[in-house]
Amino acid sequence: MGAREKLFRWRDPYDTEGTEALFVAAMRENAAYAWARCPEYRAILDDQGFSPEDLQSPEDLARLPFLPTAFLKAHRLFSMPRSRMLIRAASSGTSGAGHSEIGLECGALAAGARMVVKAASARHILSPVPCHYVIFGYPPRGTDAAAAKTAFGYTFLAPALSRTYAIRKTEAGYRPELDGAIRALERHEKSPFPTRLMGFPAYVYFTLKRMEEQGIALRLPAGSSVMLGGGWKQHWRERVDKGEMYALIRRTLSIPEELVMESYGAAEHPILYCDCTAHRFHVPVYSRVIIRDPVTLEPLPMGKAGLVNLLTPMIFATPVLSVLTDDFGVLHPGGDCPCGKKSPWLEIIGRTGMGEIRTCAAGAEGLLSGLTAEGGIS
Amino acid sequence: MIYAKSRFWPDDRQNEILSGLAAYINRVRATKTLDRERVIRALDALGRRVAAGEFDGRIAALAAGEKAERYRAMAVRCLSRAYVEDRVRRELCMAEEPADAPIRVELRPLGTLFHIAAGNMDGLPALSVAEGLVTGNFNILKLPRADDGLTMEILSALCAEEPDIGDFVAVFDTPSSDVDAMLKMASLSDGIVFWGGEEAERATRAMAPPGAKLIEWGHRLGFAYVSGDWHSGAFREDFEGLAEHIASTGQLLCSSAQVVYLDTASMEEAEDFAAYFLPMLEAASSRHPASDMGEAAIRSVRASVSRLEAAVRRAEAGGAEGDRIRLEGRGCAVTVCRDCALELSPLYGSILVKRLPEKHLLPVLRRSAGVLQTAGLIAEPQERGRLTELLLRAGVNRVTRAAHMSDLFPGEAHDGEYPLRRYMRAVNIER
Repeated sequence: MGAREKLFRWRDPYDTEGTEALFVAAMRENAAYAWARCPEYRAILDDQGFSPEDLQSPEDLARLPFLPTAFLKAHRLFSMPRSRMLIRAASSGTSGAGHSEIGLECGALAAGARMVVKAASARHILSPVPCHYVIFGYPPRGTDAAAAKTAFGYTFLAPALSRTYAIRKTEAGYRPELDGAIRALERHEKSPFPTRLMGFPAYVYFTLKRMEEQGIALRLPAGSSVMLGGGWKQHWRERVDKGEMYALIRRTLSIPEELVMESYGAAEHPILYCDCTAHRFHVPVYSRVIIRDPVTLEPLPMGKAGLVNLLTPMIFATPVLSVLTDDFGVLHPGGDCPCGKKSPWLEIIGRTGMGEIRTCAAGAEGLLSGLTAEGGIS
Repeated sequence: MIYAKSRFWPDDRQNEILSGLAAYINRVRATKTLDRERVIRALDALGRRVAAGEFDGRIAALAAGEKAERYRAMAVRCLSRAYVEDRVRRELCMAEEPADAPIRVELRPLGTLFHIAAGNMDGLPALSVAEGLVTGNFNILKLPRADDGLTMEILSALCAEEPDIGDFVAVFDTPSSDVDAMLKMASLSDGIVFWGGEEAERATRAMAPPGAKLIEWGHRLGFAYVSGDWHSGAFREDFEGLAEHIASTGQLLCSSAQVVYLDTASMEEAEDFAAYFLPMLEAASSRHPASDMGEAAIRSVRASVSRLEAAVRRAEAGGAEGDRIRLEGRGCAVTVCRDCALELSPLYGSILVKRLPEKHLLPVLRRSAGVLQTAGLIAEPQERGRLTELLLRAGVNRVTRAAHMSDLFPGEAHDGEYPLRRYMRAVNIER
């Protein structure tokens, strides 16, 4: 059994302390694989004078060259022929800077399935009781955004009686159909089975706000829950305080706070970060977090805010062992959380707006390749 | 926040306001005329308030020190009566007609303009609406995502100066993803003014009502062109000005230099130039540090991406330097490229150096015809005229000194067009 498999079979999904050596071994195994099979990754490691064998202790993880998501959006890196990838998922591309494509091979999917089952059972999401799903996302199609695929995948955690999507993809862009979602929720109120709402927090928030304006307060069946994930994306300006969101959910759907879950993840780091009952993202054994200084990109000590660098040995098909995200966050020490989990927890405090660089020159390059004539500004 | 019918409304009244907007606009257009003199008077009064320091707090939030001074001076000048009147004269002048001509031709407003403004230049959305007002149009503005209340502040101050203006403005803080609201706004318009690339154009076309005029201000690229003996030190001041321009704009504007073209075929000379220019760029970059954590992160991550790309390229070239040689400086970089294509640099003080002998100038730049904007020319005085002519023939719309590439000049046209003219139509009236 390889180190990855051992890691993903680990009994306690939040025992980061007990898995330190195993995690480093799995990373070393994965780095060696990628170094041997992905020429671009090998060039990057060689250029920085780093060998996979240099990964011997947890301290070495910070020296492993990281790939910024912006790099993965511009370059498709693979360590396997496409035929061996069972799934290819794309990042959302909401930032306007294109999207990255991540291939997952059989072993990664098996590891992922174990992880989801473990993380889900910790929050009692895995259930034999059938339910209705109202998804604040769009149905997945082809090499679609990972968020859509993830949401679809989560509708198998409990048998689905129905799936209603609140966003439709049209020619002109994404079209929210919030009233349709409200009507579905009203229908499900009378069902004997619970309802699960899942998807982008912004759309859940807009829908519930609209319900409140229309004076609609539902009493969804016991066991109904909300799973928020995918971040606020382009709606970050409307981002509301978590407490306000929970209160709104309770008022409009009668779902208590402990049945509202939030997940964090990225196409480039498909590890399921599920919040605990205290709504904290504890680091699971499958992942490690390094916070980096925004100017020097050097690692920062715990408690300091900086760029979030996520590490995992989950995938062999794509060398996403260490990915520098566009998120700003703080890593807090574990041990004192009321939920009882001992691992450190990650707090996301914002985004760099990497893809939202306020430039007019950047867009011109896309035009150059298409040789389309346009006007200009400034 | 929404501004319509001369007052502020909360965002949750958006749908209600939008559904009554058509009737409101029809009433305004049928019964009221926006007097240009009054608009100019209001703009001028606002400019005086800016000059008197009333908005200094606002400006300080955008920029500090000398940059803030520049912002203020620019705002004061753009709003001044002399400047606006000069623009009207230049952009909207019509030939004198003989008194006995059977048809009289006049310029009239397009009607209702829908502005989908870009957020890359502070104050741009308000400027766009001001142009719509000077030309007598009703203006619907969708604020850019990055707007932080500045536009609302400017426009409400303008409406306070001249209450009639309030009847001709409706501002919405709607995300572009709210397709229904965007469609509604588009359906009310005779012209859609938008900034952005291909994607913005496609989205705008999809929602424009048939017959509406699309007024696009798309993405453009700028570059510097260096001809003559740059070793001699005669151009030192120009190069320092260029470095200051690169660092101060972060290369984010259409007019910013992305590439420095050298009038040479020698790769060695290009490498020498890069080594010569790097310390100047370093000095300028140190005067323009990142304004906050977000910008610092964007800069360092972009530099990291460029380093990774250089490593991959080197490997592909079998360990040789490959097509690009990147000289790393503190907070900046100069990359010498073997090719001559005009392209976007990695931004934030990261300039590309390429070779472009004069005889190849036109054929090479013609390939980028649609996106050419500003050329900052560095050359001996006696060569400037000839090289300027050649750059214009290649399709460049603006030739300046390298230090002034992003400066605003009075009366200048915009990407080959006069904006005010685009917001009007010529009508014929038989005498």
